[in-house]
Formats: sequence, structure tokens, C-alpha cells
Amino acid sequence: MNDTILEVKDLSFRYRGAKRKAFQHISFDVRKGEFFCIVGANGSGKSTLCNALVGLIPFYFEGRMKGDVFINGKNTKESSIAELSSEIGLVFQNPFNQLSYTAGTVEEELAYGLGNKGIPREEMKKRVAKVAKMMRIDHIINKNPLELSGGQVQRVAFGSTFIMEPEILVLDECTTQLDPLGSEEIFDIVKDLNKNGITVIMVDHDMERVARCANRILVLEDGNQVAIDTPEKIFGNPDMVAHQIDVPDYVSICQELKNRGLFKGEVEVEEEPTIQAVKEALKV
Amino acid sequence: MAKTSNYVPQDSPLDRMDPRAKIYAIFCLGIAAIIFPYYQFSYLIVIGLFIAAGIAKLLKKFTKFMLAFAIPILIMLIFIQGFYSPKNVTIIADCGFAKLGLEGVEYALKIVGSLLVFLGSFYLMTTTTYTGRLVAALVDSGMNMKVGYLVLACLNVVPQMQRRMLIIQEAQAARGVDTQGTFFSRLKAYIPLLGPVVMSSFTDAQERGMTLETRGFGVKNVKPTTFVEAKKRTSDRVVQILLVVFLVATIAATVFLKFA
Repeated sequence: MNDTILEVKDLSFRYRGAKRKAFQHISFDVRKGEFFCIVGANGSGKSTLCNALVGLIPFYFEGRMKGDVFINGKNTKESSIAELSSEIGLVFQNPFNQLSYTAGTVEEELAYGLGNKGIPREEMKKRVAKVAKMMRIDHIINKNPLELSGGQVQRVAFGSTFIMEPEILVLDECTTQLDPLGSEEIFDIVKDLNKNGITVIMVDHDMERVARCANRILVLEDGNQVAIDTPEKIFGNPDMVAHQIDVPDYVSICQELKNRGLFKGEVEVEEEPTIQAVKEALKV
Repeated sequence: MAKTSNYVPQDSPLDRMDPRAKIYAIFCLGIAAIIFPYYQFSYLIVIGLFIAAGIAKLLKKFTKFMLAFAIPILIMLIFIQGFYSPKNVTIIADCGFAKLGLEGVEYALKIVGSLLVFLGSFYLMTTTTYTGRLVAALVDSGMNMKVGYLVLACLNVVPQMQRRMLIIQEAQAARGVDTQGTFFSRLKAYIPLLGPVVMSSFTDAQERGMTLETRGFGVKNVKPTTFVEAKKRTSDRVVQILLVVFLVATIAATVFLKFA
């Protein structure tokens, strides 16, 4: 996991007409196969940063961009969004706004991006069948996307992005509008994709989920890069609360045990190790 | 399938026909009906359309559509042209307040006949053609994919806006706004809904633009392909040729009748 797949170098962006920069001086890299999370309060610049990663900034949104984003060593400024779509895909909040509105069935929706790239029909059919199975939507393949539930549409949106075969998936709060069950279904798919080698960059407000999945976390506050580190280091740092980062309950429990001298290990960010820590503390 | 067009899936020869052949039919039959001097000709074509509707298993719907359009417009045009056309020479009835002229009635029948041919054939095309297949056929014939997108998106965005309107309407009703009742109480309830619907549509449009961009919408120097197949069969080519022959024969007959 040492190969850098995405590199952000001193990136700043100000929307046209905006008084302040959406984010400034952001620098980090993401390694191949990594599960990388971006956290921060509302307005901290997370979504804008996601748009910059996939090339929507500077090509779609108007504004002033400084710095560079490299994907597999290629500067996004020198590619088009369409070209980048084979390397990096974006899934965002509202599932219904991620439909092309050109398809009468789910399979046509999945194939839309492939058609734009001139992929032959036979190849399209193969990829559609494969992705539909992977996204667990093969049973609704002939349904109209507009008839589906939010969770199902989000899976279709995922599939439509993933069918372009990107190496990196950027997920911008993509489960926010879903119910807990729909949200977990999507997340299971994300975890499977990551296990299969897809690099995931995820923005999420659910810190327990972030703590559970992330290899590393980038913390943003008011457009500034506050920290970048492992979940244990980020959530184990008491200063993070000051940066409006909610600490997962497991971390709070461990810290409380540490404060009372009942636990001497590292702060835990997941359920099982925390239970073990509590059990040990109770023995005392 | 959500109601995004008039298309009614049926296993019929018209359903299987290539959409381009149906477009040929609309233009060839419509132009023939307009140029041929006798109104009876248009009604013969209309009878042919009824037969086609029967083959397409859509006779009931087609009859309802044609009558709903034909009767009111025919009455209106016969009234205007029959009573008040300056071409009227032969009086066929005296209604007291005005006299009904044969020439005006024939002219009204001609207009209605031509309109019925155009509308009837267009209706049959839309009810027997899946929109995706129509666009695929047109793209295959060289139409710009972006134009194809516009056609499909316009048809599909309407149900989405209706859905949003319903959500906002339910939200308003839950807050005590009366969305039922008299015309004025409904008007009072619906006007404030327009702002959120329009504003959210702008946000949606931006996100949809982002979606399209990340799915290769703006890709250059690539010949786009479609998932839906639009294959022209030999029978479709024969139909197209027959339609063109029919139009040419009608033009020839019209010219012959004019100079004979």
C-alpha cells in the first residue's frame, strides 16, 4: 500500500464571486487500495475538495484554483472530466440527481457513460451484468430508475460510476439521504470494492464508521487542513474536539477509562477492542 | 415502467418496426394527405391508420384519441369555413342566421383529414416506439448524441419534477396548508410551492450536470454508442421504400389531376 495513486499539492480554490477561499493549501496523498476519509464540519470545504479531485474543479465550477491534483502522476488540469472518469469516479448525496434521465431501465442507466465513451454494445452488456451483480441490483435491472427507492437509486448511481472502471471512488456523503438499512447496504458494497483493490476516498459525518474503515483521515476546518493521520491518532487526540470533530463513543469510553486509570493501552476506535478494554477494566 | 411517454409495450409488428420507418410514415402519409386535392384521400389514409392501430392492438385507445380530437375541431371548422368561407358558392343548407356552403365544408374536411393523418400517425409512432429505441435509431442515423440527450431528458425530467412537487405539497399539507378544496384555496396553496420547486430545480440541474460530466458526456472525438439496439431489418427498408413510392405516386397523381 505504498504506491501513491492520488496526490494533492498545495491546493487552494475560491469560487467566482466568493469572499473567501473554499479551501487553501491542502496537501496530501492517497495510496493505491487505501480507504481514505475526509472529515470536517459543514462548510469546511469537503465537497469542494471532492469536486477538485475528480476534475469538476477547474473544468465545471468557475473560480480560481491554485496548486495541483495528480492522479497516477497525471495532472488533472491537463485532462478533461470525461477522460478522468475512467480513473476517478464521484458519488454524491442526492441519488436522484445522479441519474442521467435518459434511461427507461436500470441497465440503460448503467450503460449511459459507456455509450458516451463509444464502448461497443457487447462489451457494455458484459459490464452491465457484472456491475449489476456486484451492486446487488440484478433483480431490478429491467425496472425504470424513477420507480426505485432512494437506496436502490443510490446503488444504481454507484454502479453507473463504477462501470466506468475507475481506480478511485470518491464518495461525498453518499449515504446521508438514506435510511440506516439503505446506508448500511451501500456501505457494505463500498467495503467490498475496497477489499477488491479499489481506492476509496470518503466524506462522512458518521465518525464511528470513519473510525472503523479509514486507513487514514484528513481533517478540515474552515477550508484549512488541520491534521492527517490514522483514526487512532486523530480520535485519540483531545484537541480534535476543538476542531468540531465528534469523537466516536468507543474513543470516549477508552479515554474515560484512561482518565480513571483503569486502562493503559492505546485509545480504541472500534467496538470489539473497546469491549475488551471495558472487560479488562471491570476485572480491576 | 414509469409514465415518461405514451409508449405501450405490445408484441405487435408496429412495435417491432424500426422507428425510422415510422418517421418516414408520418412525413410521407402527412405530405400526401396535404397535397392531394380530394379530401376523401385523407380519410382513406385515416382508415389505413385505424387498421394499423388494430394490428398494433391499440384500436380502442387510438379511436378514443382520434374522436376526442376530430369531433370538436371538425365541428368548429365546419362552422367557420362552412358558414363564412368566401369560397362558398354552392349552398347546401340554409340555417337562417347563415348559409352552409359546400366549398367551405369540403375545405374544413380537407384540413381536418390532413391533421388526422399527421396526428394519427404520430400517435401511433409514440405509442408503439420506446423512446430509448427512437433516440438510438436517430443517433445511429447520425443525429448528435447531445440532441438525443435533450429529447430523452425532457421526457424523463417531468415525472421527477412531479415527484418533487408532490413531496413539497405533502410537506405543506403536513404543516396545515390546505392543498384540497376550492379552486382559490388550491391556488393559494400552490403558488408558494412554485418557488421551492423552481429553486430546487436549479440545484438539481447543477448536480445533474456534474453527473453527466463525470459519465463522459463531454468526451470528444469518440463516436457514441447506445445500449438499446436500433437495427433496421429488410422489412423496415421495404416499408420505407413503399412509403416513398406512395408519396411520389401521390405527387404524380396530383400533378396529373391539375393539368389533365
